[in-house]
Amino acid sequence: MDTDALLLTLRLAATTTALLLLAAIPLAAVLAYATTRWRLLLEALVALPLVLPPTVLGFYLLVGFSPLTALGRTASTLFGHQLVFSFAGLVVGSVLYSLPFAVQPLTAGLRSVDPRLLEAAATLGAGPLRRLLRVALPLAKSSLLASAVLTFTHTVGEFGVALMVGGSIPGVTRTLSISLYDLVENAQFAEARHIALLLLGFSTVALVALYTAPLFPRGERRAS
Amino acid sequence: MSLAYRMAAFARRGTVLLALALLALFAISALAGAQTKKKIGPAAPATTGALTVFAAADMQPVFEVLGPYFQRRTGITLKMVYGPSGTLSEQIVNGAPADIFFSADYTFAERLVAADKADNINPYPYAKGILVLWTRKNSRFNPITVDALSRKDLKSVAIANPATAPYGRAAIAAMTKLGLLQNAAPHFVQAESVSQAGQFALSGNAEVALISETLAYSPAYKAAGTAALFPLSTYMEIRQCAVVMKNSAHRNEAHVLLNYITSDPIQDHLADLGLQRFQ
Repeated sequence: MDTDALLLTLRLAATTTALLLLAAIPLAAVLAYATTRWRLLLEALVALPLVLPPTVLGFYLLVGFSPLTALGRTASTLFGHQLVFSFAGLVVGSVLYSLPFAVQPLTAGLRSVDPRLLEAAATLGAGPLRRLLRVALPLAKSSLLASAVLTFTHTVGEFGVALMVGGSIPGVTRTLSISLYDLVENAQFAEARHIALLLLGFSTVALVALYTAPLFPRGERRAS
Repeated sequence: MSLAYRMAAFARRGTVLLALALLALFAISALAGAQTKKKIGPAAPATTGALTVFAAADMQPVFEVLGPYFQRRTGITLKMVYGPSGTLSEQIVNGAPADIFFSADYTFAERLVAADKADNINPYPYAKGILVLWTRKNSRFNPITVDALSRKDLKSVAIANPATAPYGRAAIAAMTKLGLLQNAAPHFVQAESVSQAGQFALSGNAEVALISETLAYSPAYKAAGTAALFPLSTYMEIRQCAVVMKNSAHRNEAHVLLNYITSDPIQDHLADLGLQRFQ
């Protein structure tokens, strides 16, 4: 088993999940509570990676962040190295690619919070930020968890972007899915089987846990 | 989830519209299909369907030049599939419907013989490959020589996966022989094929790439950069071999193509395309 690839994949998924949860909270709040019509456009944009082939993203990263472009040179000075063929590049790709998996469950969760509770908080003098952080988010805790699990597992399963902009560098950009691809291409089926089984098992366990979690409510829910 | 809900709502509202749109699409594609059939039908009476050619990625620029000539001359249409030789041979062993396979080496062609897929006990050699180091015109390594790989400020070197791409294997051998491997290896960016390795450098993402001369001679690469040859003695001869599948329904056409590639006029022309004669 390629432990380098395993550790790298976990590191990538963890970094992506952390960054995406930070980005998803304000985005989901806007999507759940904003009343302008632009909200629908934003919602469509957020959902875009669901239907877009990862190759489109890979292409724009390759061309857009190449040192031949101003954007690429800016990114290079910002990160100290170029974005393509680096861990940071994979993180950027994964954040974009997993965006809907972080935002959509959380948006649904925030929308399902009883508006009367938010109104009550408002009458008690809580501002919008406080209402979000102290009332809505704690009530949508399980959605936040769903966002985190889906983002993490989806990033572990990310392949197309890594293939196009990764360069299969051991310990830097050779994730489990890329390692599996290389092994299969090279007809090393015995090793490939280990990775495939690991990924299959991991995804199954994660999703089963996600879907069965609501069946075992925590004690604190009894009050409501 | 919200997207699913939205789509369901959309579907309910627009089922009829959607069905009509789909119907229109089907009708258009059916019409288009009928038209192309009409066009092709009388033009190529000699052949029954196209020849499916699996060819190593380094052969793409070559077939892009020779393919149209061949098709005009013989009326045989070519359906090209390009990829790393190792991947293609693996696919054919597992039943991919190739009629003929142009490998970039001997080993992956021989693998098909071993798998009892070939119509001959020996793969047919058709050309010899040449390994080059390529960089963009505005690169700081110009004028480019292979010694660029010994520079300490080297950042990224694109090579094809040595396990599946013969040019990747040759690249490792050449750098080992020249004592450049230790300096270059930490900067390797591995591509799945020689064409992806080239693309990494062409798009400016990798500083240099070890690719086939066929690629370096193709219009896009010629316009954008320069190449340096590796001494031929530094890597094992890239003896590019082809295999005709014994189960192919187009074996005769496959041999017509093979004979065309190995014919004297084409072999004499190979040097312009970045290959050497096979003998």
